[in-house]
Amino acid sequence: MGISHVLFILFSVLILGGGVMVVTRRNLVQAAGALILTLFGVAGLYVLLEAGFLAAVQILIYIGAIAILIIFAVMLTRRLADEQEPGLNSQWAWALGTAVMALAILVIVIQGTWPLAGGVVGNAPPLTGDSTSRLGVALLSPEQYAFPFEVASVLLLSAMLGAIVIAREKRH
Amino acid sequence: MEGFDVANLFVSIGQVWTGFLVNLGLSSQWIAFVNKLVAALLLTALPVTIVVFTIMGERKIIGRFQDRLGPNRVGPYGFLQTVPDVVKLLTKEIITPTNVDKVMYNVAPALSVIAVILIWAVMPIAPSMIGVDLDIGVVYFLAVSSLATLAILLAGWSSNNKYALIAAFRTVSQLVSYEVPLVLSLLVPVMLASSLSMNDIVQAQSRGWFVILAPISMLIFFISGTAEVGRSPFDLLEADSEIVAGFNIEYSGMRFAMFFLGEWIHAFTFCALTATLYFGGWRGPFVDQVPALGALYFFAKMFILYLIHIWIRATMPRFRIDQMLAFSWKFLVPLALVNVAVMALATKLLAPPDLSASFWATLPRWGGFLGVNLIMAVGTFVAVREVARQARRKEEEVSGRFGSAAVVQE
Amino acid sequence: MSETSQTQATQEPSVLTVQDAYGVLLERFPGQVRMDERQGYEGVLIEADSLLDVASFMRDQLGIRYLSSVTGVDNLPNGQLESVYHAFAGLGPALVFKVQVDRDRPEVPSLVSVWPSADFQERESYDLLGIRYIGHPNLQRILTWEGFHGHPLRKDWHEPYYEEELKPFASRHPDGHVYRAEDRNPFGMNLQYPSDFDPHNWTDIAQAAVYQPLQRTALESRLETETMVINLGPQHPSTHGVLRVVMAVDGETVVDLMPVFGYLHRNHEKIGERCTFPQIMPYTDRLDYICSMSTNLAYALAVEKLTGIRPPERAEYIRVIMAELTRIVNHLLAIGFLWNDVGAFFTPVVYAFNERELILDLFEMAAGSRMMCNYVRVGGVFEDLPDGWMEKARRLVYDRLPRFVDEYERLVVQNEIWRARAIGVGVLPAERAIAVGATGPLLRGSGVPYDIRRVEPYSIYDRFDFDVAVRFNGDVYDRFMIRFDEMRQSLRILRQAMEQIPDGPVQTGKKNYTIKVPPGEAYHRIEAPKGELGFYLVSDGRPNPWRYHVRSTSLINLTSLAEMCRGHKIADVVVILGSIDITLGEVDR
Repeated sequence: MGISHVLFILFSVLILGGGVMVVTRRNLVQAAGALILTLFGVAGLYVLLEAGFLAAVQILIYIGAIAILIIFAVMLTRRLADEQEPGLNSQWAWALGTAVMALAILVIVIQGTWPLAGGVVGNAPPLTGDSTSRLGVALLSPEQYAFPFEVASVLLLSAMLGAIVIAREKRH
Repeated sequence: MEGFDVANLFVSIGQVWTGFLVNLGLSSQWIAFVNKLVAALLLTALPVTIVVFTIMGERKIIGRFQDRLGPNRVGPYGFLQTVPDVVKLLTKEIITPTNVDKVMYNVAPALSVIAVILIWAVMPIAPSMIGVDLDIGVVYFLAVSSLATLAILLAGWSSNNKYALIAAFRTVSQLVSYEVPLVLSLLVPVMLASSLSMNDIVQAQSRGWFVILAPISMLIFFISGTAEVGRSPFDLLEADSEIVAGFNIEYSGMRFAMFFLGEWIHAFTFCALTATLYFGGWRGPFVDQVPALGALYFFAKMFILYLIHIWIRATMPRFRIDQMLAFSWKFLVPLALVNVAVMALATKLLAPPDLSASFWATLPRWGGFLGVNLIMAVGTFVAVREVARQARRKEEEVSGRFGSAAVVQE
Repeated sequence: MSETSQTQATQEPSVLTVQDAYGVLLERFPGQVRMDERQGYEGVLIEADSLLDVASFMRDQLGIRYLSSVTGVDNLPNGQLESVYHAFAGLGPALVFKVQVDRDRPEVPSLVSVWPSADFQERESYDLLGIRYIGHPNLQRILTWEGFHGHPLRKDWHEPYYEEELKPFASRHPDGHVYRAEDRNPFGMNLQYPSDFDPHNWTDIAQAAVYQPLQRTALESRLETETMVINLGPQHPSTHGVLRVVMAVDGETVVDLMPVFGYLHRNHEKIGERCTFPQIMPYTDRLDYICSMSTNLAYALAVEKLTGIRPPERAEYIRVIMAELTRIVNHLLAIGFLWNDVGAFFTPVVYAFNERELILDLFEMAAGSRMMCNYVRVGGVFEDLPDGWMEKARRLVYDRLPRFVDEYERLVVQNEIWRARAIGVGVLPAERAIAVGATGPLLRGSGVPYDIRRVEPYSIYDRFDFDVAVRFNGDVYDRFMIRFDEMRQSLRILRQAMEQIPDGPVQTGKKNYTIKVPPGEAYHRIEAPKGELGFYLVSDGRPNPWRYHVRSTSLINLTSLAEMCRGHKIADVVVILGSIDITLGEVDR
C-alpha cells in the first residue's frame, strides 16, 4: 500500500465524513463548514488524479466562493441556525427516493463500460504533458468545446441577471 | 567542503546539507523526504521571521511619518521591541467568551495563518529557489488565499459578537468583490508569459519587467491586493474607529496574535507577489553570475512595495463600505475587463518575445505595449472625469449645494 | 438659508427688545404672566397651564426661535420647584421666563413640541430635580440610572456620605483634618434604592426604553430583513469618552439611533452647591477638560455678573488671549480626531498634537498646569503672565500657527477619500439647527452666523475686529472646514489683543478666600470653542450658591445626532459624532 493509497483513504474519509456531518448537523453554519471539508477532500482527490488545475479551481470556486456565499446566506438568516429546528421535514421521503436513485445511477455508471472518444474507460491513454494548457486549448478551440463553453457562459450570465432582477429593491 | 560557491550560496548550503545526510547513511528516498520536510519548515519559518522585521520597520517608519521616534526602548534604536511584544502575546490569557462556536472559533486563527503561509510554497525567491514550481502556480495562489477569507468569515460568525458579525458581512462583500479585478489583472502577466507557473513568469521578464509592459494591470493588482489583505484605506474589516477591530474583537493572547500574524504576512506576501509578477521577482544586475543575489533583489523589491503600503496607511482615511464596493464594481472591474481584452489583442499583434533578439530590436514591442497602456489610461481619465462632471451637475440640481468656499460674514 | 441667518442676526432685535417683549407678554396674557419681582431676579413668571400657549406665542409672534437653557431650581423654603428658561431672539440678552409649581406635584408642560432643544434638558431637570414635564416624548432619567433613589439636586436630598450642607465642613476646618467619609463605612452598606427597586433582579428600564422604539421603527420600515441593535460604546474608541449610542441597523444602514448618557456623571452641580463660590473654580476645569480656560472664564463671568465685580484691563486681555488659545487647542483636536474617526492612522492627530503641546506649554507657564489650568479668578486672573511668556506666545501666534493652519488645510482638504466621506453626510439644515439648540461650529456650519462674541459681546470682545465664520451646507465637510476659518479668526483676535494689552494689575481688590455675593440670579453664556457654554447661578446671599447649573454645550449639541445619522452607514455615525465635537466630561457632568 503506497502513500497514494493512504492519501486516497484519507480524502475519502474526509469526503464521506463531511457529507454525513452536512446532513446531521443541526447548526447550519457548522453544516456548511462540514461541506467545506467535503469539497476539500474532492480537491485532494483531484490532486491524486494529477489534475492540479481542477484541484486549485475546486478550492477557488467551491470553497473560496460558493461555500462562503452559503455561509453568508445562512448568517443572514440567523433563525435558521437555531439548533432547535427539527432535522426532517415533510419531504424526507422524496429526498430518500432521490438519493437512492442517484446512488443506483452511480453504481451503474461505475460498473458499466462506456464507449468514449478516446476509447474505453480504464483503457484511456495516460495524459502526458501540461494538462492545464491542454484543458485550455480544449475549452477554447472551435473544433472541440468552445461552443458548449460559450453556451454555459450565456447560461450563467442569464442566471446572474435573473438573480439581480429578483433581488433588486423595488423603488417606491 | 570542496566547491563551496558563495555565488550559489543557497545551492551550496543544500549540497553540504545533503552530503551530511549521505554521511549519516540514509537511503536516497529518505534523504529526499527529509529534504522536503526541511524545505517546508524553512518556507514556513521564512514569512514568520520576515514579519518580525516588517512590524518593527512599520512602527519605526510610521513613527517618522508622524513626527515621532517610534519604539525606542528595547535594544539599539528599539529594534528588539517585537521580542517583548511576542512574549507578551504568548503569555497572555486566552479568553473564550460564552456561546461561541468552539470548533470554528478555534480553527479560524490557525486557518488565517495557514492560508497565507501556503502561498510561499510557490514563491520564487531566487533562481532555482522555490518551494514547488507548480505549473498552475498563479491559480494555486488564488485558491489558497481565498481560504483567508474563510478564516475571517468563520471568526466573525463564531465570535458571537455583533461587531464581529458586521466585520464578517464586510469581509464577504469586500474580499469577494476585489477578487474579481485581482484575477482579471492577474491574467495579463499570465498571457505575457503564456504560463501559469510563477517561475516561468519571472523567467519571461528577462528582457524587461511586466510593469513596463502592463502598468495598468499592475496598478489594478496592487490596489485590489491592498483591499484583499485589508490594508488602509480598505481596512474596513477591522476598522478600529467603527467596529473596533471587527472580526478579531473577541480574540486574545496567542489566538489574536495568529490573526495579527496572518494579516501582516498576507500584506507583505502580496507585495512579494507584485514584485514577482510585475517587477521581475529576483531579477536584477549580475544575478546570472551570482544567483544568491536574487534573494536580495526579491526582498528589496518586496520591502519597497511594502513601504508604499505603509505610506498609504500613514496618510489615507478609510473608505466607507458602499464607496469601496462601488470603487471595485464601477471602476476597477470594467477597467480590468477592458485591460484584459486590449492586452490580449496586443499580445497577439505585437511580436512575441525573442530571447535572442538585441535590446534595440525589442524596443518596438515595448513601445507598443506602453502606447496601448497610455491610451487606456487617458481613456479612463476622460471617462471618469465625464462621469464625475455629470454626477456633480446632477447633485447641484438636486440639492443646490453651495460652493465649498468659505463665506465669511462681517 | 442665508436669508434665515439675516433674519436671525439683524432684523428681529430692532423690532423688539427684551423689555418690550416682557411688556407684550404681560399685555397679551393678563393674569397668566407676571414679572418676577424678587430682588436680583429678572424675567417673567408664567402659570404652568398656559406655558405652552405663551411659548408658542413667543416663538411664532415674537421671533424667539432659540431656547438656550432649561433648568430647575428647588425653592425649598417656600415649597416650590421652579423651571427656568432662557431664550434668545438674536442679538441682545436673554428672555427669561419661569414656571413655579408645588414641590408635591411638580408638573410642568413640556416645551419639546415648541423648541426641540428642550428635549435633553427637560430630561435632565426631571432626573436631577424631579420636575415632571408633561407631554415629553421620552421622560426618562438621563444622567443617573433607574436604580437611583430620589432626585439629587433637591435641597432635602442627601448623598450617602452626607456630612453637612455647606463647605467648609466643620470636621475639617479650621484644623485641616482630611479623611474620606467612605473610609468610615468600608462595606458601603448605606446604599439607597427606590422603594420599588430590587437591585438583584431588575430589568433595565433604560434598556427597554431604548430598544423597544428602536426595534419598532426597525420593523415598520422593512419587514423582510432582520435589523440588529448595536451598542456603540460606552467603551468604544470613537465615542470620545464613555458615550453610549444605541443603534438599530439594517445591514450597515442606521435605521434609528439614541444616545445614552451618564457613564461619567458625578453630579457636578451638587458638588458646586456644596462649595463656596471660589471653590467651584477648579471643578469647572473638569467640565470640558480640553478647554479648561474657557470654562473657567464662563464661570468667572457668571459670578462677576452676579456680584458686579469688574476685572482690571490687563486681566481682561489675558482672559481673551487664553480663551482664544483654548479655541485653537480645541479645534486642533477636533479636526485631528475627526480624521481619526474617518480612519486615518493617527497622523493628522499627531500633527495637531504637536501644535497643541506648544500652546499647553504657554498654559503651563502661566497657570502651572497644562490641562486643568484653574487660572481665571473672579475679578481677574490667578497671576500675571511670567517673563518671556509674551515673546513665546508672539512667536507662536504670528509665525508658527498661521503657517500650520494653512499647511494642515492643504494636507487634508483635497483628499479624495475625505471629500467622499464628508460632503453631503450628516446634513443639518439651518432651521433645524436653530430648533434643536445647536450652537458653535455646528450651528455656524449650517449657515447661521450666530456667534455670542458678536451678538452679545462679553468681556472685551467688542473691541476686536474679527469675522464670524459661517458655511452653508451643514454637512460634515463644512463643520470641519469652519474650524479652520475659526482658528484663523482666533489668530486675528490674538494678534490684536497682544498688541493692545496694557500693563497693570491682574486682580481687582486683594485676593480673598471668599467673596460676598448678593442674593439674586444670573445667567452668563460665552462662545466656548464647542458652542454656547452657560452658567446659571442663584445666590441667597450666603458664600455658597443656592443653585449652580451648567448649560452644557456638548450635551445639547447631541440633540440632533439621531436625525443627522438616520439613513447613513455605521461608519458615518462615527464621523458625524466626531464633527459635532463633544467632551464627555461636559456631557455627563
